[in-house]
Amino acid sequence: MQASIAGKQKYNLGKLWGIFGGVLFVYLFLGFMVIPCFNTLTSVFRETDAAGNPDPFAVIRFFFAGKMPMFLWNSIRLALCLVVTVNVVGISIVLLTEYFDIKGAKILRLGYMTTLIYSGVALVTGYQFLYDQNGLMTKWLADFFPGMNKQWFTGFNAVLFTMTFACTSNHALFLRNAIRGIDYNTVEAARNLGARPFKVLLKVVMPTLLPTLFSLTVMTFITGLCAMSAPTLLGYNSINPEIVRLAGSSVADESFPQARAALLSIILAMCTIALLLTLNHYENKGHYLSVSKTKAKLVKQKIQNPAANVLAHIYAYVLFLIYMTPVVMIIIFSFQNWGNVRNKVLDPSSWTLSNYFGNQDYIYQNWKGKEMVSKGAISGVFGNEKTLGGIRLSFIMSAIAAALACVIVVIAVNYIFKHKKKKRGKLVEACLLFPWLLPTILICYSFRTFFNSNVFYVFGQNLYMKENVRILIVLAYMVVKLPFAVRMIKAAFYAIDDELEDAARNLGASQIVTFLRVKLPIVLPSVLAVFALNFNALFSEYDMGATFKKAEGTTYAMVIQSMCEDEGRNNVNMNASGRRCASTVFIMIISGLILYLVYGVGARDLGERLAIREKRRKRLEKIKRKFSIAHAAAEELPAAERRNIA
Amino acid sequence: MIDLKNIVVRFGEFEALHRINVDVKEGEFFTFLGPSGCGKTTTLRTITGFIEPVEGVVSMQGRDITHVPIEKRNIGIVFQSYALFPTMTVRDNIAFGLKIKKMKKDEIDRKVTEIARKVDLTDEQLAKAVSQLSGGQQQRVAIARALVTEPAIICMDEPLSNLDAKLRVNLRNELKKMQREFGITTIYVTHDQEEALTLSDRIAVFNKGYIEQIGTPNEVYNHSATEFVANFIGDINKLQEEITGKLNLPADQVHYIRLERISVCAAENDGKEAVSAGQTVSLDGVIESQEYYGLFIKYTIKTAGQTLKVVEKNDGINIYEPGDRVILRIDPKDIMSY
Repeated sequence: MQASIAGKQKYNLGKLWGIFGGVLFVYLFLGFMVIPCFNTLTSVFRETDAAGNPDPFAVIRFFFAGKMPMFLWNSIRLALCLVVTVNVVGISIVLLTEYFDIKGAKILRLGYMTTLIYSGVALVTGYQFLYDQNGLMTKWLADFFPGMNKQWFTGFNAVLFTMTFACTSNHALFLRNAIRGIDYNTVEAARNLGARPFKVLLKVVMPTLLPTLFSLTVMTFITGLCAMSAPTLLGYNSINPEIVRLAGSSVADESFPQARAALLSIILAMCTIALLLTLNHYENKGHYLSVSKTKAKLVKQKIQNPAANVLAHIYAYVLFLIYMTPVVMIIIFSFQNWGNVRNKVLDPSSWTLSNYFGNQDYIYQNWKGKEMVSKGAISGVFGNEKTLGGIRLSFIMSAIAAALACVIVVIAVNYIFKHKKKKRGKLVEACLLFPWLLPTILICYSFRTFFNSNVFYVFGQNLYMKENVRILIVLAYMVVKLPFAVRMIKAAFYAIDDELEDAARNLGASQIVTFLRVKLPIVLPSVLAVFALNFNALFSEYDMGATFKKAEGTTYAMVIQSMCEDEGRNNVNMNASGRRCASTVFIMIISGLILYLVYGVGARDLGERLAIREKRRKRLEKIKRKFSIAHAAAEELPAAERRNIA
Repeated sequence: MIDLKNIVVRFGEFEALHRINVDVKEGEFFTFLGPSGCGKTTTLRTITGFIEPVEGVVSMQGRDITHVPIEKRNIGIVFQSYALFPTMTVRDNIAFGLKIKKMKKDEIDRKVTEIARKVDLTDEQLAKAVSQLSGGQQQRVAIARALVTEPAIICMDEPLSNLDAKLRVNLRNELKKMQREFGITTIYVTHDQEEALTLSDRIAVFNKGYIEQIGTPNEVYNHSATEFVANFIGDINKLQEEITGKLNLPADQVHYIRLERISVCAAENDGKEAVSAGQTVSLDGVIESQEYYGLFIKYTIKTAGQTLKVVEKNDGINIYEPGDRVILRIDPKDIMSY
């Protein structure tokens, strides 16, 4: 009897936790996804005319009368062109490193993959540094081709050029996987039937890559449509920079800026939804995949025609140069003094660490000829309070947001798997994927506008006020990263055999113990990988921070960026550009380290870890043995000598 | 020992088990045999508690355990996939159940070492990760993990199905030996009739959620209770009208005979009709084809308007080629009628 009462109490406690979890989930979903975004979307129809009467279609009329369609068209134009250029470059780099036999493929691959650790604002400013009208590369090119237009790197051209090379990371990851999955026997079969290598590529290899290419095309299109850092920094009037500009504008300057920002966000969201639905529909059909049971490993194809072979090698190394030059230049210039960086001159005789650790004063003469001192005007990433503050803030906010996203998703996915055949499982999943449908900027914009008043369900606080904005940024970071976390962690949960849970329960473990000791350790490497990748992306992100645009929420990338904007003004921030180079190197090191930990160390299973430990132990023993032999020999020697003397 | 009474299990509208009754005795090796989807694993999962029946009673040693939670049942299980925890070493896998019971560390160490010795796992293997072991070793870990908590019963869900043919036969013998040594009541699920016949003390043959027959291997094979059992276990010939007429068997039933119960001998060269002696009926036949197995030879023989399959020991004396004329002898007491 007592046992049954205890059981009942336990059951009630479990039920209570369930209800608490459910209520919390609904609160978070409604409060931080649906209501703010819905508020933005409906604001379009809440405008009034001059007489103060409701005029729901005012914004839409304004849209068609003004120049707003231009922003939309610019975004679409960019997206369409990117689809072509990114696919050409993306397919090239994968074929050159994985399919054709090109000398030095390993080094080429490393170069092509630099975009994995070098992206976003850092990359755009790096390109700007090299290619704008005073840029190093432009200067060199102008020496070669005196007639060339030195201002080629502006507006659309600049954005397209930069994003073409910046957006091939997905190709480098997914298309590479797809090409490695090709059954080499099919290539051999085609050759055996008389097809020439190029024909094999076109008729046998490419069709198997089509599904992946289609997904990559849709993803590239969305990237182009939602582009933010490149158009903002390089000056191209596409949707997202305009949304951010309008969000910060006031009614005094122009007609209903907020509602117009909202309308542009809605248009962007509709495009994204349409594209994602297409993608989903296509992925669900999922055919084309190789059905052969034993897959033979792909053997690299030698290009038989000597001229074509030379051309392919030249093409491969030109691409390599385009990828590597900014990275190498940024690293080099991060060690140059502020004058060289600002004048974009490389002086091989002067090197400095001031962009990393410096904190020097700048001495100058004012207009009266009086000597003045600007304190700490030449300071490094780790040498000035402001950047350190930015690093600290970004570090904390990114870590909290990435951790929260992981915790929420792990608990939710566990729930989803438990109820995968029921509607509530699917509903929870749909809720977590919801932010994927909306452009990041829309979510941030919605947070900024909706929480910029006292909202009752966050204890009547204004979350956009002062330091509160940090909570808001963390929440936005978390929301935006949920869909990615869900997709990755769900894939990890599929790897858990149902029988493992049964086995643990059969051996006496309760549900919670089973989760903590059996299931969690299995998915933990994936969870940590998701945490690391999300943290990595958030730590150096610029777009979202820029949308919030708040002094108390100035992230690391924003600090670096804003310092560059007033470089040298009033004799402060003299080495802002050099500091930005150093900061980029710092981010590349962190990203590289994280990728190594995730894909190198984290991907090992227990067996591999034990094997490595064993190998290490044996190696250590060998060294010890050698040492002890040498030691014994050294001791023996004097004894022998003594004997000789005797 | 374990008693299932009128067990009904439903998945939504689908009734997976229709009033199942099984009584497994202490120390017995009891097998649930049947094709896939017949309800044998469902019955096993009902015993272990993963499935709660909508009707009926599960009792163990006279105690009703129908609604006792999984972890309180003290029934061990070895899964088809072994379900070894990939993030733990072999030692930690085996110790898992004992740690859950919050036993003392030295007690756990002693028990793990003891069981590892019994199932032939070395100390070196105990320190390895599960993925570093072979299929056969993994199976022994799964058995050790299930036995170390000293369960009253051990259930095995097709534990040999992931192994190759040769290893399967080896481990089958080892399994039987272990069961005899430990003397533990074992419930074994398989769709492999050979496995069931060689291992079991008794077999329950399942079909579409019903139990067709419970009996010793000999009873199930030689005195199959239903047409399904006769067909499912071993190879069998269905006799057509012409032969059943000669044997004077009732026309409203169907009649079967096992392959090895028909004897074959070379026909007289003078071409005389086969003569029946006593109860035995003789039939003329012509060899249609031959399948060579080494230990025995299976012949397909055309006779009395049908073909019959027959196996003959490969004794090296009488080997027939296609086209040879032979005489078949059938004893009516070997016929199974339904």
